[in-house]
Amino acid sequence: MRDRVSRRTIFAFIGPSIIALALVGIAPLLYAGWTSLHFFNLTKLRRVKFIGLENYGTVLTDPVFWEAMGRTFFLLASALPIQVALGLGIALVLHRPGLTLLKTLTRLSLVLPMATTYAVVGLLGQVMFNQKFGVVNQLLGGADINWIGDSTNAFIMIIFWDVWQWTPFVALVLLAGLSMVPGEIEEAARLESKSWWVVLRYVQLPFLIPGLVAVLILRTADTLKLFDMVFTLTRGGPGSSTEFISLMIQRVGFRAFDQGLASAQAIILLIITIVLAQIYIRVFYKEV
Amino acid sequence: MKLRNILASTALAAGLAMGAVSSAHAWSLKEAAAPYAGTTVDVVFLLRPGYEAIEAMLPAFEEETGIKINIIKHPYENALGEQVRDFVAGGDLDIALIDLVWIGNFAENEWIVPIDKFTTNPDLADPNLDINDFFPLVLNAFGGWNGTVYGLPFDNYSGLLFYNRCMLEEAGFDGPPATWQDLKDVYGPALTKDGKYAYALQSKRNETQSADSFARVIWPFGGSFLDENFRSNLLSAESQAGLQFRQDLMQYMPDGIVAYDHAETVNAFAQGDVAMITEWSAFYSTVVSADTSKVADCVEIAPEPMGPAGRKPALGGFSLAVASQADEDEQAAAWLFIQWATSKANAAEYLERGGVPARQSAYADPALAETYKFIPALVESWQDGVPEFRPRFAEWPEITEIVQEWGTKMMLGEVTTEEGAQILGERMEAVLEEAGYYSGDKPLAQ
Repeated sequence: MRDRVSRRTIFAFIGPSIIALALVGIAPLLYAGWTSLHFFNLTKLRRVKFIGLENYGTVLTDPVFWEAMGRTFFLLASALPIQVALGLGIALVLHRPGLTLLKTLTRLSLVLPMATTYAVVGLLGQVMFNQKFGVVNQLLGGADINWIGDSTNAFIMIIFWDVWQWTPFVALVLLAGLSMVPGEIEEAARLESKSWWVVLRYVQLPFLIPGLVAVLILRTADTLKLFDMVFTLTRGGPGSSTEFISLMIQRVGFRAFDQGLASAQAIILLIITIVLAQIYIRVFYKEV
Repeated sequence: MKLRNILASTALAAGLAMGAVSSAHAWSLKEAAAPYAGTTVDVVFLLRPGYEAIEAMLPAFEEETGIKINIIKHPYENALGEQVRDFVAGGDLDIALIDLVWIGNFAENEWIVPIDKFTTNPDLADPNLDINDFFPLVLNAFGGWNGTVYGLPFDNYSGLLFYNRCMLEEAGFDGPPATWQDLKDVYGPALTKDGKYAYALQSKRNETQSADSFARVIWPFGGSFLDENFRSNLLSAESQAGLQFRQDLMQYMPDGIVAYDHAETVNAFAQGDVAMITEWSAFYSTVVSADTSKVADCVEIAPEPMGPAGRKPALGGFSLAVASQADEDEQAAAWLFIQWATSKANAAEYLERGGVPARQSAYADPALAETYKFIPALVESWQDGVPEFRPRFAEWPEITEIVQEWGTKMMLGEVTTEEGAQILGERMEAVLEEAGYYSGDKPLAQ
């Protein structure tokens, strides 16, 4: 069987993907690695020079970088539990028998927030959270809350939009996990216990763990690269209150044009993401 | 002195060229453009009234010359990045649109061509170019760098005080405040009531924070970004007085002023929510149009108020310069367009369509002030502005990011003006040191 598939055939199938990946993924990464070792400012290209790990040293000792990183993880820590709680609730409701048509419509509508372009979400936010004309303040009984111009409120606004956009994703992933639970085991569990919590903890949760780990990894990566929505909504402000790590890297690389420093920041971010993903997998998969 | 040298040498070159031309044949745009008919010129425009004005006039130019102008529109915040990437990559842009704070950057990178390449070419130089007709301050600040003129002023601004006469009269005032102190101490309390505010200072964390907010308060109080040795001057008593004044003035501004960009500020004024704003002359057409302003009949214009150091109005605006990456034909076609767009002959129509020309002759007719109320204040502001209102050297893109961050933090009360100025100054000096200003590698040029 193996002899009948030639190396050429294997390469013909896999090769294009590898080449595409190398071109769009690996080549820019290598280039970023190269620029991160240089003084490389787009407006000072005559002064490009090798500076070793100096950019990395600058990043690691820069309090602004770590403040942005801390802010990003605070967003993750604030939004993700809400997304998991709401997503699990929605998934459990949709998992119950009956009301097939309504559940199908609900599943379809869950896709809408995810399908909305990030930048559009930010622009919607600008209008909806406008202090004077925004629908949010109107819904709050004509409240005069300054959402975009206040540091705390702006952060809350970002959490709101992140939860709005990504709770459906969590719900759909967890719903898929619930559908993996064998029907007879779940029925038996319900006969054994009236407590929904017992059923969830000892029967359904083991099937949800792989999905939850996937959610954790994907949402962490998404939050670390969150850019479009915040850029169009607050541009990182007011002050630095919503300047998450991706906005900071964009600011350094494309507004101050220091590509060397921005590349070092991006590579450190990549390393943090990989380490976190490994930790998630090792810690959470042990329980399965 | 430097300005005089620039003007004198440019005028001399232009004069010599014109003399040679006039003895040979009468110059016409059509004949000058004939060799370049069919050439396409790529240029970045902003989404602002001055650009719409020239765009509306463009068919006449294209018809007469056969040169096609391809306009790529960007919001201000993207314009620098897009152009830098294009020039670094050897892209398609044939004309550089240069904010006055970008001129050092563009010139030092040799992305733009000095205008004498064209003004000394009798085939391309319009005998009526009359470079001395531009306001000297504007020509120097927008188009000149280190003794050389690169660009001609195109979209020209001066900071002006826009005030709502009706609101002021209702509060018992028969005119606008003459000084910043009056604006805060007298007009502020009287006009801030019933959900209305005396004043709004656009302070969003982008170039608006640096140019419209931070710089606007340090200069009238005698402060500046740098001293004569290029060291931070932000901790000086004068700079601190200006920054503290801004903090005190915020009580008479709408909540969340740090989120206000030009659009929000002009809109607040146009809706009648704010009695006074200090904005660029370019927004005049927006606030006096009944389509975009509820207070069109109440709008009056005055020069910006004076501070202890005098009237130091905000200065901003854009020049157009030929890009060095363009080939010879494209450069010639680009120059013909720039020369036409900024010409004396077109200034009146440009003004009428919502643009603000930098030609002194365009404002010579006193009757114009009745139609365009901003003219007297504008002309006055351009007599005695500060070319270095924001430093124009190549390092400004890095420094403005620092100003934006710490200027906003000051306004939010996250740091005091002293703490903010201390950190801002240290970071600003680090950028300048790295650039070689302190080691003597670079001259202390602005």
